[in-house]
Amino acid sequence: MVLEATMICIDNSEWMRNGDYSPTRFQAQADAVNLICGAKTQSNPENTVGVLTMAGKGVRVLVTPTSDLGKILACMHGLEIGGEMNLAAGIQVAQLALKHRQNKKQQQRIIVFAGGPVKYDKKVLEMIGKKLKKNSVALDVVNFGEEDEAKTEKLEALVAAVNNNDSSHIVHVPAGSNALSDVLLSTPIFTGDGEGGSGFAAAAAAAAAGGVSGFDFGVDPNLDPELALALRVSMEEERARQEAAAKKAADDSSKQDKEGASSSQDATMSENVATSASESENKKDDLMDDENALLQQALAMSMDDPATTTVNTRDTDMSEAAADDQDLALALQLSVQEGAKDQSGETDMGKLLADQSFVSSVLASLPGVDPNDPSVKDLLASMQNQPEKKDEDKEEDK
Amino acid sequence: MACLHDHSCEDHDCSSDWSLYKHIDIPKVSALNEAVPGSVKSVFKAWEQRLSSLEGFLESNEGDPELIVFIPFTSDVKIKSISIVGGADGTSPIKMRAFINREGIDFSDAQSMQAVQEWDLAENLQGVLEYQTRYSRFQGVGNLTLHFPDNYGGDMSRIQYIGLKGEATQLKRDVVATIVYELMPNPSDHKTKSETGGGMSHVE
Repeated sequence: MVLEATMICIDNSEWMRNGDYSPTRFQAQADAVNLICGAKTQSNPENTVGVLTMAGKGVRVLVTPTSDLGKILACMHGLEIGGEMNLAAGIQVAQLALKHRQNKKQQQRIIVFAGGPVKYDKKVLEMIGKKLKKNSVALDVVNFGEEDEAKTEKLEALVAAVNNNDSSHIVHVPAGSNALSDVLLSTPIFTGDGEGGSGFAAAAAAAAAGGVSGFDFGVDPNLDPELALALRVSMEEERARQEAAAKKAADDSSKQDKEGASSSQDATMSENVATSASESENKKDDLMDDENALLQQALAMSMDDPATTTVNTRDTDMSEAAADDQDLALALQLSVQEGAKDQSGETDMGKLLADQSFVSSVLASLPGVDPNDPSVKDLLASMQNQPEKKDEDKEEDK
Repeated sequence: MACLHDHSCEDHDCSSDWSLYKHIDIPKVSALNEAVPGSVKSVFKAWEQRLSSLEGFLESNEGDPELIVFIPFTSDVKIKSISIVGGADGTSPIKMRAFINREGIDFSDAQSMQAVQEWDLAENLQGVLEYQTRYSRFQGVGNLTLHFPDNYGGDMSRIQYIGLKGEATQLKRDVVATIVYELMPNPSDHKTKSETGGGMSHVE
């Protein structure tokens, strides 16, 4: 979920009238642009995308980087085909548009659709590439349309000059029965540098391949993108929380071996981690059932169901703290009991405390307390003496 | 305006003077035109380690000696002086320009903007030179951008250590979140002078 500002450079030159990509090169390009915009805005809600055309009367910015998908889709209407593609000017204007983005924290990226022939020298393109690299702008090039060895060589050189740590890519799409957008779905342009891919891309790929239920969480991201995003985010949060809990549990088990309770918690924790790990591995092959189970867990956690891992982590915290310091354990008990005292009447409490079996059962349920511990036993004895003392005081006062 | 740091470090503890690196928000440090992304973080370390290149150094891309280093701080600082240890064989930077409290400066901005202060650097391989700042201009610094436009003739520039001397206040500059101003102009929000009957009152 990289925070990114993207400028898409569209080729609307005369060469886009050709029908070797169905229905026309221009239409295939427009579909691909729509798909990219959707993927970018879904992968991170703060991403912005802008569009400019490179041919026609000159390079024209149709929409400056915005996160409003509707605006972007609207500007794609009524575009006219004509003229010749001006690659260098297009990239430079895109760079300028990105420079003036509102959120300076966003990474800069330019996506170029190069359909027509490239009239610039390789040297010029390499200079432009170096300048992009210097200003840490990433560049993705989609080479389609005109097939020309010189063009391919120039574009490869351009991307090689810009490439910094595999952030820039070039994709060659030959004409054929596959739609341009389908071919692009499997490329790094969509999957975003191997970050695990956006659920959007995976879902769309499954739909395109005619898969049965390829949508994560049974919700079509196209129909309800916000819900799909919310579910995916909660899933990732749950996974992160479980991993953190598992880590903590691992620390605990290395610290102290006394509590049988914590070891059982470890078992449940490691189970959950195992299931989440297997989930992340087989993302595409997941059955609906597994996802439902994890989703149930996520929902249950958000509703604070005591049977879930949240409480387990809290218990782990307590036991970890208590194990370190016996005095702390006593203090914890006292505070718990004092709290109980404040609530109910004193006489009632006195009766309850006098009931040693009740007290010992309470203490046993508290994590980090071993009822057979001598200091605990002393405390119990003193607790029992206290109510008796209080009764004596009362009698004296009277 | 370089002054020689010419006493032996056994007399007083130099490292405590150069301790402003502790107030740098290291994960958010970034550089432009660095050969290895992320290598800029290795130049901010303690005074004692200024000459060791164990953690790596900051290098610019081949054939292009320009570098920009963006340094955000965790709280506002006052910078008294700066020390730079460059590389050998002409890879040391020859000039340094500083900008404060500006985010997102890139090369075209840096070349056109007036710097807060500029220094001519010497080849300071032992790290004994420090460059004083005009202190009054470096109060309340939330982030610092250093621009190194050129070096001593090497193919690329190399910086091993950037040391900052000064004080840290506990204050933080007001961070204004990204504000989106009006997306579409709303004429009713902008009453021009002619509509409201002129800006000047006149007595007749």
